[in-house]
Amino acid sequence: MNDGVRPPLIELSRASRTYGARTADEVRALRDVDLAIQPGEFLSVEGPSGCGKTTLLNLLGLLDSPTSGEVRWDHRPVGSLSDRDRSRLRLTGVGFIFQRFYLLPTLTARENVELPMRPLRVPRTERLRRASGLLAEVGLEGRERAFPHQLSGGEEQRVAVARALANRPGVLLADEPTGELDTGNTRAILDLLVRVRADRDATLILVTHNPEVSNRARRHLTMRDGAVVRDVGET
Amino acid sequence: MRGFGWGRSLRHVRLQWVLAVSAIAAAVALPVVLISVGGGVSAHELADLQNAGYQIVVSAGGSHGISGAHALAQRIARIGSVTVASPILSVAIDAFNSTSPTAPVSPVLAEGVVPGQFTPTLGPTESGLFPSPLPLGDPTDLVHYDNGTYRGPATYDVLVSTPLAAAKGIRVGQQIVLSPSTNRSLGVAYNVTGSFGVPPSILGPTGAFAVLLPLSDLQVMTGYGPANASSVFDAADTIEVAVAGPVSDNPSALTHVRDEIQSLVPLYGVTSLLQEAQQLESASAVLTGFYLALSSVGLSVGLIFLALVLLRRVETDRRSIAVRRALGLPARTIAAGILTEGAVIAALGALVGTLAGYVVVESLARWATSTVQEAASLAVWEPFTLGAIVAGVVGLSALAGGVATRAALRVEITEALR
Repeated sequence: MNDGVRPPLIELSRASRTYGARTADEVRALRDVDLAIQPGEFLSVEGPSGCGKTTLLNLLGLLDSPTSGEVRWDHRPVGSLSDRDRSRLRLTGVGFIFQRFYLLPTLTARENVELPMRPLRVPRTERLRRASGLLAEVGLEGRERAFPHQLSGGEEQRVAVARALANRPGVLLADEPTGELDTGNTRAILDLLVRVRADRDATLILVTHNPEVSNRARRHLTMRDGAVVRDVGET
Repeated sequence: MRGFGWGRSLRHVRLQWVLAVSAIAAAVALPVVLISVGGGVSAHELADLQNAGYQIVVSAGGSHGISGAHALAQRIARIGSVTVASPILSVAIDAFNSTSPTAPVSPVLAEGVVPGQFTPTLGPTESGLFPSPLPLGDPTDLVHYDNGTYRGPATYDVLVSTPLAAAKGIRVGQQIVLSPSTNRSLGVAYNVTGSFGVPPSILGPTGAFAVLLPLSDLQVMTGYGPANASSVFDAADTIEVAVAGPVSDNPSALTHVRDEIQSLVPLYGVTSLLQEAQQLESASAVLTGFYLALSSVGLSVGLIFLALVLLRRVETDRRSIAVRRALGLPARTIAAGILTEGAVIAALGALVGTLAGYVVVESLARWATSTVQEAASLAVWEPFTLGAIVAGVVGLSALAGGVATRAALRVEITEALR
């Protein structure tokens, strides 16, 4: 800190994740990963299928815990947090964008965006104002009342981006956000992500197979067999 | 689960909801019917006891088991606080039309009473059904009784119940022949001096064909009166004892009088109606408990069904739950949604069940056969009891909701979103 380097926002120390430990089906999805992510970074995680990208993202986003090693958020080991505190951290600190969008089918676009604000007891008028503003920001003005099945894939992902931004998180985690989109929509979503990251000075961690997507990131992580085999770019 | 969009999500599980509500409704309807009707009958009997004009009953084992009834009633009446003691003998006899020897016989219930002692033991409801004083001749019945010799002149007066009079065309001033058996030649002609109403009861119409005559007359007619020279027969079934107002309201004073009577007749049973009322109330409470225990089987099935419906809902909403958890929605929000859904289904089921129970009882009261109809018409609808049943069911739904909540909170987020 004295030398001008910003302290890491998220740190992984020798983090491993094993599924089905000590059984015949044991899978070591992540092996002794050390990683430090600074606030405001734009990081892509690449690698072949089954190399541990999503597992890494799940650990970074507090959806899962390492079998061994440690994950720290703001120097705080998250292993010591209760389930409630982890939920709270996810709610306020992380925005998730999934490959299959995962919008709730019984909610309208605006209600999907409002959803993360409700546990924080954001007043209804403020929720509506913020949700409408976010939808306008992602280019869905006038589509607030549409249900997910009435939206195209690109529009659904835009709603998902708006939902991820609902509580103004410092970290955006996107798991193959363009995996189910055509080229035009891929470009549009990517532009959107880059823009909202820049506007908010948020950290964006993006798992992808797509070189066009990864090329927009400033730091590139390559994984193989559960380990980070390459880490290049700005930190 | 709950929250906005909740109503829309129900469209997909409408059938499951309908089935779960129906299962709980069926489970609730049973105790509602049993408790309402059972409670109603008990309350009616209790009211009968509390409205009776007497407070203590002397009875003996078997029929017509009290002997020396006239003398015993007089001895009891001499106890302080006792205002009157009325011996009663009930015997099934046969009545014949005096003017038409070929008319069919009518079995009737004959009650032998001491007219002047019977009237004061009538409660407020019953007293309106009888003429006062009873037009049965000697109010003391001692003239005909004649110190147990039964040699005094009998009046041969009788009162007939209004249903019997209506059914058989009997009018005041007419004569009917009463016989202890279907043999008309053993019968005696009686003057019909009046009629009396029959209080509402659940006995059915056969109990409504009755006659009332002096105790000694009935004793002589049926052979329960004069014994041989060395013993006193003078039979009765019960002696109803009325006490002075202040004592009747005082349980300990009433018990004291009861004990005094018991010491007079150590071989007979002496019961205060207050005791009977207490026994009836405790029996009613036991019955209610039994009804609830019986109903708990159905209720358990209903709640298991509810748990299955909620579990199925968790299974179908697995991904939705995982998304909510991934977004950071607290576990308590998910749990509250499931518990609320379970409580809403249970409350709806309980309300529908209560309504169904009400409709069933009302239908029975209107269209069922006599005894069932009469019992159903006595049903009471106590808001507190019904509210307790509904609240109990809603409370128990928390168990079903708890099972589903546990399953929901164990959904692996990463696995469900894979």
